[in-house]
Amino acid sequence: MRLLVLLLALIACAAVQALLPAWAWLGGAQAPVLLALVLFYALHYSRRWMLWCAFAAGLLQDSLGQVPLGCSCLCFALAGLWAQRHREDVDEQAYISQIIFGGVAAAMMTLLLYALLRFKGAITLSLADALRKTLGTVLLAAVLTPVVFRMVLGLERRLGERPALETGGRP
Amino acid sequence: MRDRTLVGLILAGLILLVILNLPEAVSGRVRGFIRDAFAPLQDLVASASRQGQETLKLARGVSSLMSENQRLAGELARQRLRLNELERLEEETLKLRHLLDARRRAPQRLITCAVLGRDATGWWQALRLDKGTAEGVSAELAVTTPEGLIGRVISATARTADVLLLSDPKCKVSALVSRTQAFGIVVGNGVTPQGLPTCRMEFINVDRRHGVQNGDEVVTSGLGGIFPRDLLIGRLDNVKTNESGLYAEADVVVAADLGALDYVFVVADERPGAPPAPAARRAAEAGVP
Repeated sequence: MRLLVLLLALIACAAVQALLPAWAWLGGAQAPVLLALVLFYALHYSRRWMLWCAFAAGLLQDSLGQVPLGCSCLCFALAGLWAQRHREDVDEQAYISQIIFGGVAAAMMTLLLYALLRFKGAITLSLADALRKTLGTVLLAAVLTPVVFRMVLGLERRLGERPALETGGRP
Repeated sequence: MRDRTLVGLILAGLILLVILNLPEAVSGRVRGFIRDAFAPLQDLVASASRQGQETLKLARGVSSLMSENQRLAGELARQRLRLNELERLEEETLKLRHLLDARRRAPQRLITCAVLGRDATGWWQALRLDKGTAEGVSAELAVTTPEGLIGRVISATARTADVLLLSDPKCKVSALVSRTQAFGIVVGNGVTPQGLPTCRMEFINVDRRHGVQNGDEVVTSGLGGIFPRDLLIGRLDNVKTNESGLYAEADVVVAADLGALDYVFVVADERPGAPPAPAARRAAEAGVP
């Protein structure tokens, strides 16, 4: 059942990410929906599940854009490993933790992807523009991560992977 | 347990290395398979989004009638729904007629494609089209609209194709000013914070004496083998000399609206016996070689 949830969540997140436009006033930042999904698996499940999610999400993101195949897998996996390393230090159910994890992971991911794409000669974006885009992605990730967490939790409950929420309980 | 974790991480690293170093042909096939598998869903989501926007517009219109009489409001809503549908159909008919006219007039064979979406990572100014190699769309073909050129195909799978827009800094087009025949390169300049796609034209060996002016029409030169000659790109704006003070450069206001594209044409090849393009005809009449 967990695999089904992962597949459905991956397809939904990829579809939403492909549909949402890049925000010009945020430096062309794209909403990091797939990254938020990887963070969900990093904060809730084992390393194996997180890596599966990171690889699948990375392949999807690279195939939906122009990024050379594998670059996003690497960035997602590193962001996920970082999040797992620090998940014991925080309450992963708290919105503030999700916002901070989302923001920091988005910054790491965008800068790493920028370095990789510049190294491969795939883009000609200046560092100043990349920093503006990073800031935009951080803002979008901070807003989106709690939303994606709620959506995947809801999907898991609906499909019986997680017990239903009791009145007054925490998510 | 620790050993198993280490082995798992090493295995993941090795898989990643293999993916990152896949030969271009293999990675293209993998990418193409995922893209083609995802295309129907992307198409579905895009059309659902368009319908949702239409419904939202309609809902906004209906909400403004709430203060009126219930029966009249209902009747009005029904009429509005019908009118809205008719207007949408009329708009779509006009748009398609416009596209059909442009397609008939064009000296090249044009493949009509719908836009599925934009680059999902935001690093490029790119579009995804709903047609691929199965319909004759392949890499390095020009992409245009009735208003003018928008970019070139950079990759194609069996069912989809990706287009790099003129505003992307990696997109360069050999161009000329149709009035003076001054050559230059049109280079993408990214998007302004207001979301406006921008380009600039760098002239080759053209100084101020050649008299390029604001408002001059810029068309493709036909050099380079990708873009056919005489496709309209846009008009010059803010003509100035470069930093050395010797040569001219200018912004280019792109004729096509790169921010609102529903349907585009991929320029496949020249039609046999087609009439010469307007700029080529003008140049021939003026005696320009």
